[in-house]
This record gives sequence, structure tokens and C-alpha cells, in this order.
Amino acid sequence: MAPVYKVSYVVAGEEHPGAILNADQPPRVGDQVRLGSREFVVLEVVDLLPARGDFRFLHATLRPISKA
Amino acid sequence: MDLLPLLQKVELFDGLSPDELQAVADLCSEQILHAGDTVTRQGEAGNEMYVICEGWVEVIPNPPPGGAGPRAVVNLGRGQLIGEMTLVDYGPRSASVRAISEPTVLQAIDRDRFTELCEHDFRLGYLVMRNMAADLSFKLRHRNLTGR
Repeated sequence: MAPVYKVSYVVAGEEHPGAILNADQPPRVGDQVRLGSREFVVLEVVDLLPARGDFRFLHATLRPISKA
Repeated sequence: MDLLPLLQKVELFDGLSPDELQAVADLCSEQILHAGDTVTRQGEAGNEMYVICEGWVEVIPNPPPGGAGPRAVVNLGRGQLIGEMTLVDYGPRSASVRAISEPTVLQAIDRDRFTELCEHDFRLGYLVMRNMAADLSFKLRHRNLTGR
């Protein structure tokens, strides 16, 4: 099975609860991601935990680029 | 609907064989929610856990007495679990959960039937409980990283 990327997203610079999501592709710096109704740009991606089985565990920091 | 490809991508079921995944799939029932619908209410008894197949939910614990109004502590998307704590502690719901996308699709799994499956198949039970501990750990790490 292709890897599953379990990502912890945190939004910098505002009161946002962040999000956890399984993705088919890892986020990369500069990517735009949509969480709910809002869009963000990825500022940083780091490994949060060692991989286990088919799962990769990442942490990404985001910056908002639009408001709902 | 073939649930196996979906369940394979849920961390809780990592390591299960196709037969074991099918046994889990046999316990699932689909729920389609609209934005604003409530999945769980804090303090209520819970007999099911949920896997998010599509869409988003927000997790909103009641604020402490005298604190600010309720606010979400995390949004959860595809592949994440809701209500899994009831599987291990049989306690009331620890937070309210509300759908925030249109639609939000969940698979509900009855706690007692799932527990019975874990007790019947020790390998499955071990893997699920290990994975559940890892999932709760991941959520704690996320919470720590949000600075809340």
C-alpha cells in the first residue's frame, strides 16, 4: 500500500485550532492546503514521529491566505 | 460499498489482515451529516466511535466555569477517529463534535460489538489497542504544538 501521511497542521499567527488529516501526499513548503472552508500556505514541514507500517507522521506549520 | 480500501488508510487498523479488516467493515454503518450537525455531545453516554471518511468536524470541549465561550480545540479530517475514548474508558463523551463540511461522511462502529471482536481475536485486539494509544498520543502532541 502507498504511504499514508498523517499530518498535524498548526496555523501560525492566529487563534486557529489546527487540524489533523490523513493525506495521500505529504505537504511541501509553499503548497496551498484547504482546511474546512479556508486556505493556507505551508511554511514548514517536519517529521513528528518515526514512520510505522504504512504510516508517516508529519507536522506542518501554516499561514492563512484567505478568510471564509 | 467496499470499505477495505478506506479502513486500510486509518491508523487504528494498521497491521490488520484483509480478513480482520473485513470483520471490522462488517461492524460499520455509514452516516452522512450536514454542516452544523452534531456527532457527539459532551457529557452524554457514548456507545459508538466514528471514522471520518469525508469532510471535516470540529471538536469543542465545554469551557471551564468562568472561562471564555466554547471554542474548537482541533479540526479533524479524513481518516481520523471520533469518540474512541469511550472504547477504552466507557466514560461520557469528553467533548462535543460537530460537522463543519457539506457533506461529512462517517462510519460508525458499535463499541460493544467492536470490543467483542477484539476479545475474540487477540491479535486484532492488540493491534487496535496499540494503534489507539498511538492515535491518542498523536492528538496530544498536536495539542501541545498548538500551544493551548
